[in-house]
Amino acid sequence: MKKTKASLLAAVLSVFMILVSVTAACSSNSEEASQSSNSPTQSAAPQDNTNEATTYPIQTDKKLTYWAGINSNLAGIRNSLDEVPFFQEWQKRTGVPLTFISPTAGQQKEALNVMLASGELPDVIEYSWINFPGGPEKAIKDGYILRLNELMDQHAPNLKKYLEEHPEVDRLVKTDSGSYYGFPFIRGDESLLVFSGPIVRQDWLDELGLEVPTTIDEWYTVLKAFKEKKGASAPLSFLSEGKLAGLGNGAIIGAFGINQSFYLDNGQIKYGPAEPQYKDFLATMSKWYAEGLLDKNIATTDLKTLDANMISGATGVTLGNAGSHLGKWTPLLSEKDPKAVLAPAPYPVMNKGDVPRFGQLDNPFAVNGTAAITSKSKNPELAVKMLDYAYSEEGHMLFNFGVEGVSYTMENGYPTYTDLMMKNPDKLAPAQALSLYIRGNYFGPFVQDKRYSEQYNVLQSQKDSIEVWKTDAKSTKLPPITATPEESTELAKIMTDVETLVNEMTLKIILGSEPLSSYDSYMKKLETLNFDRAIEIQKAALERFNKR
Amino acid sequence: MRPSASPSHAGKPVKSREIVVSRLVKDLALNKYLYMMMIPVLAYYILFQYGPMYGAIIAFKEYSPIKGIVGSEWVGLAHFQSFFESYYFWRILKNTLLLSLYSLCFEFPAPIILALLINEVRNKRFKSIVQSVTYMPHFISLIVICGIIKDFTNSGGLINTFITYLGGDGQAMLQKPELFRSIYIISDIWQGMGWTSIIYLAALMNVDQEQFEAARIDGAGRLRQIWNVSLPGILPTIIIMLILRIGNLLSVGFEKIILLYNPAIYDTADVISSFVYRKGLLEFGWSYSAAVGLFNSVVNLILLVLANRLSKKFSENSLW
Repeated sequence: MKKTKASLLAAVLSVFMILVSVTAACSSNSEEASQSSNSPTQSAAPQDNTNEATTYPIQTDKKLTYWAGINSNLAGIRNSLDEVPFFQEWQKRTGVPLTFISPTAGQQKEALNVMLASGELPDVIEYSWINFPGGPEKAIKDGYILRLNELMDQHAPNLKKYLEEHPEVDRLVKTDSGSYYGFPFIRGDESLLVFSGPIVRQDWLDELGLEVPTTIDEWYTVLKAFKEKKGASAPLSFLSEGKLAGLGNGAIIGAFGINQSFYLDNGQIKYGPAEPQYKDFLATMSKWYAEGLLDKNIATTDLKTLDANMISGATGVTLGNAGSHLGKWTPLLSEKDPKAVLAPAPYPVMNKGDVPRFGQLDNPFAVNGTAAITSKSKNPELAVKMLDYAYSEEGHMLFNFGVEGVSYTMENGYPTYTDLMMKNPDKLAPAQALSLYIRGNYFGPFVQDKRYSEQYNVLQSQKDSIEVWKTDAKSTKLPPITATPEESTELAKIMTDVETLVNEMTLKIILGSEPLSSYDSYMKKLETLNFDRAIEIQKAALERFNKR
Repeated sequence: MRPSASPSHAGKPVKSREIVVSRLVKDLALNKYLYMMMIPVLAYYILFQYGPMYGAIIAFKEYSPIKGIVGSEWVGLAHFQSFFESYYFWRILKNTLLLSLYSLCFEFPAPIILALLINEVRNKRFKSIVQSVTYMPHFISLIVICGIIKDFTNSGGLINTFITYLGGDGQAMLQKPELFRSIYIISDIWQGMGWTSIIYLAALMNVDQEQFEAARIDGAGRLRQIWNVSLPGILPTIIIMLILRIGNLLSVGFEKIILLYNPAIYDTADVISSFVYRKGLLEFGWSYSAAVGLFNSVVNLILLVLANRLSKKFSENSLW
């Protein structure tokens, strides 16, 4: 009888799911964890004051554990980072053996969460630490990762040198209080900052005698023509992820003078959905949806659907990246329809001749793939030395071009990818082959080289895109600001509710299940969610950033 | 449900402590192999079911893994309070309850009906084919199931193509809040019906064949036999399954919801567990999730005890 009860309780307790995963590991670790909470300061304490350049490979018998995602280009080619030639070479060159732990693709956040909760941390974690709830400062304060200032002063001469030469980047990779928290991914050239924007079926435009659309009205004409004359069932389609993620960079919505989230307007922080223009944007979108110009599955469109739409000719205009989208669809499309041509189109504006104020523009410090060293690391100095290699002359070449003679050859002082990369004998696409030998086409702790993208973007349309997608986004883009650890809990709480409300309202109005007039009542609800406080917090964060 | 290895007389009421001890020693000696067989099961429950319950404390703390459970600060009922005060609390509670209730009304009887029907099939080959086909979906991964559902229900999907063919208006069904519950329940039935029916089929095997004969002699037709013999025969199983089900009334699985929903249908699709997922797992709010999970479990426990008591009162079946 006792056991019947037990199994019954067990059934009830299965709801503890999250709880169990958190605590199963913690109950055994709590002691160890509380002990090690003071260890970072010990291990980070300067032992010697030399700042000599490390000679690679480092002679060491210590092994480091390294947590990092696998580049999606490797899906189906390699299952773990150990098997990727680049990562083997990296270990060989630095002399530091690594054990890799990789989260499931697309589940980085959840995997990191579970790992942090377990208290079992590897030596190095590659993550977009600026998006950590509470920001990197909180991650340091809570004892997950180390403040790297002293360690970097002593053991990271290469990164230090780069940051000294580029003060504008240095400002971005620090926290408000001046802490370094990781080895950053830096886009080393202006031309690498723009890589996403509108894409249109040029062959359809030519056939119908239309110009590349530049204004919202012209977009409407083009979409209408695509629907009526080309039989496109979803003339405009883009990624949704439930919140129209494809518009996140400001395409379409930018024409209305706002962006989807927080942005800068003459130095003032604003939130697009709370601005009156948002209603105009919704009006346009719901009109387009009602007329069948928008993908009917707009709330659920994922990459798979979008791929299908593009390749089957259901879609004539979309929003995507030069590399992973334009580069992928073009060959697939021309296989089906030799006349098909995809071309980049400028970000739409309201009045002809305007310069788009919003558009995709990355910061030179791209937040993804920042490698932080955890407080559990027993060899933080070694980790710093190992990571600093990527910012050296030699490491820079390895990360961007791979091994000379294998993945690239020097031609007139220009590192040129070999045929193994660009015309792979195993029929791998360049993106896939490159992912095996370099890290340049993915993010990670190194400085990206523009000579990589000059070759990676093979198609003329890709090369043109950088010019076509140019916008004035610099004036409206928020720098990577962070709230203080105290404010961030409050901000997160407000913004979860606000975003739920906004995403829901946006989709409902566009889909027509709510009339446009309900926008006003939604805005009233925003006030009850304490939204003003969120703006206040963001303002304070921006002020702190400007004072850096 | 009944334990096989645990000796039932260990829990009997006894008069004095000495007798208990001496009996236990005797029993241990006598049934030592049975007891040994019990150890792994006990260890499992202690380690994986009761042990983690200690972690429920974090619902009352501001948990930080580095500080550990003991070292984290106490915050009292703050997490519960912020959950109850949440703007969406009533909506997600309503959605959770409704979805559970619907699944109780529609999903629960489905395998019983299926089992009764399969039981009536006389052709053995056909019977086993039907059984295999109906329980197959149980083995398909949930991700695949949800992918299938998405593909079938989108505007160009199978169902909509069919509707358009019939002259209807095809729409992306997962964007319509009013359709979500139906999609969820129907796909659930499809997925679980065959598998759960195995339990009832097993119970049907145990129904005395003579009763059927007697019924036939009395002139009962097929339907009468089902109603008066088969159904009463498996009633205890049905009631036990029902009580167990009620104990999970508030626990709508979050995986399926998360794979299917989007903001356009939060109105009907957002439930406690998906809310907790968004808050807890994506925002690293461990304590908050723990608090909601605990609330969920407490409500479930109360419902379970109530259901058991009611069942004891009105029928003779109960779990304890």
